[in-house]
Amino acid sequence: MRESGIYAIASKDIVFESFDGEAVVLDLTTGKYFGFSDSGSRLWDALSSGVPAAELSGAVTGAGPLSTADIDGFVSQLLEFGLLAAVSDAAAQPLSGALLAQLADTTEPLKVDIHDDLADLIVVDPIHEVEEPLGWPALKQAT
Amino acid sequence: MPRVTLENLADYARYVLAQAESCSANYPLTRAVRLPGLTLTAQLNPGGLADAVASGFIAARDDEAPADACRIFVAHPGIDGIAAPESWGNSPFTQHGFASRLAEAGLRGNHYHDLDFWQFYDPDRRVGVQLMTAEDSFPPWEPGAPLRPFLHWEYAARGMRLAHAGSLGIGGKGVLLAGSGGAGKSGTVVAGLLNGLDSVGDDYVLIDLAEDVTAHPLFATLKQDPEGFRRLGLKERLGSHGPLNWQGKYQFRVDDIAARPIPGRLDMIALMVPHISGGEASSITPVSRKDAMIALAPSGIAQMPGERESGFRFFSDLTRRLPCYRLSLGTRPDEIAGTIADFITRGAP
Repeated sequence: MRESGIYAIASKDIVFESFDGEAVVLDLTTGKYFGFSDSGSRLWDALSSGVPAAELSGAVTGAGPLSTADIDGFVSQLLEFGLLAAVSDAAAQPLSGALLAQLADTTEPLKVDIHDDLADLIVVDPIHEVEEPLGWPALKQAT
Repeated sequence: MPRVTLENLADYARYVLAQAESCSANYPLTRAVRLPGLTLTAQLNPGGLADAVASGFIAARDDEAPADACRIFVAHPGIDGIAAPESWGNSPFTQHGFASRLAEAGLRGNHYHDLDFWQFYDPDRRVGVQLMTAEDSFPPWEPGAPLRPFLHWEYAARGMRLAHAGSLGIGGKGVLLAGSGGAGKSGTVVAGLLNGLDSVGDDYVLIDLAEDVTAHPLFATLKQDPEGFRRLGLKERLGSHGPLNWQGKYQFRVDDIAARPIPGRLDMIALMVPHISGGEASSITPVSRKDAMIALAPSGIAQMPGERESGFRFFSDLTRRLPCYRLSLGTRPDEIAGTIADFITRGAP
C-alpha cells in the first residue's frame, strides 16, 4: 500500500456524478469519461472521501471479499488515470457500516471503463516565424 | 511579437469583438432568425454561410414568448476595417484551458487552428463575432449547423443546453435519442419522420429542464449516408438532392420529409440509446442511467466549446429525470417507427 494509503480527488477538474449508485467521472481537462461498476463506484466513494485503502481490504462484495491486491490494482488505475492523488496530511475517515452494506449488495466486479474516443487532442501549434502585430494591442511577452 | 496565447487571449477576444462591432455598417447583409426565446441577427457576406443562416434553422412560431436579441458578426478582412485573424502562438492549446481563460474574463470562445478561425461571444451583451481569413474560410461542418457555438453559449447562459441527440415524438410527447455517430440516431429519426412521427432535430436539439424535460428545434438539417439514403427510400421521396457534404452524407431539411409542421416543443418522456441490433424486430429494454449518461453526454460536451462542467451537471440532471432505455433497431423503417410510436403512446415498452 502506498504511503498513508489515504487519497483525495486529484484536482478540481475531476468531477463526478452518481446514477443509481454507479459513478461517472469526467476529467474536465482532457474530456475523458470514466464509468465505474457498482463495486468500483462504492470504492470510488470510499477512497475519494478519505477512507484509507487498507481499510477496504477484506470488505465483502457480491463477487466475494476484496483482497489487498484487488484494492492495490484498483487504486493504481485511479492514480494512473489521474483521478485520485495520494495525500499525506489528511485525517483518515472511517469505513461506514452503510458503505459496507452497499458493497455487499454489489453484483459487478471492481472495474472502471475509460471512454476517451472523444477526448481532446492536445494540439501544439507548429512554431512559425512571427511578424509584427497588426491592428490589435501588442501585449508584453512572457519572458 | 506575441501571437495569441492564453496570456493575451482575453485581450484579443475583446479586440476582435470591438473591431467587429465598430464596422457594423460595413457588412453587406443582415439576416435575422427567430429561435426559441431568441432573435439571432447575423451580419455577414452573401454566400454559403448566409444561405445556411437563411435556410438552416427552424424558425420559432410567432406565438412563442418574447425573445431576447443577440447579434453575430461574421467578419473577415474583405470587410472594410476588419484585420486578418491572428494565429495561435507556439504554446500548448487545450480546449478546456482556452475556454477557462476566456470564462474568467466573462467571455466564451472557440478556435479552429487549421483556418485561423475564431469565434468569440460576450454573453452579457449578447454580441459575438466569427472571424475568418476570407468570406468562405470556415470549417466544412459550419453550414450544417450554422453559428452553433454562439447558440450553445447563449442558451447555456440561460440554463438550457444544445444536446447532441435526435428526437421523435407524437402528440406533443417524445423521446430523446442519444449516442455517438453511427449508433443509428439519424436513421431512426428519418424512419420516424417518414412514418408519421414528429421530430425537433436529428443531430442537435435544444433542451430545457426548467420544468419538465422539453426539447425544442433549432436546426433544420438532416443527414444520411448514401446507404441510409437508399435504404430509407429518400432518393425517390426527395426527387432531387444536393451533393454529398464533407462527411460524405446527403443533407436535406426536416420539413422535406415531415408529415406535419415541425412542433415548437416536445415533452420528453424517455431517453433512449439506439443501437443497430441486426435483428428483424425492434425492441425497447431498460438501460442503466450510467450507460445512458455515457451515451448522451460525451459527444454533446466535446462538440460544444466551453461550459464543460455545467454541461456535465446539466446532462446528469437530464439523465436522472427521464427513464432510460436501450432501443434495439430492427431492419424496417416502418416497424422502427411503430415501435417508438407505441412506446410514446403507452409511456412504457
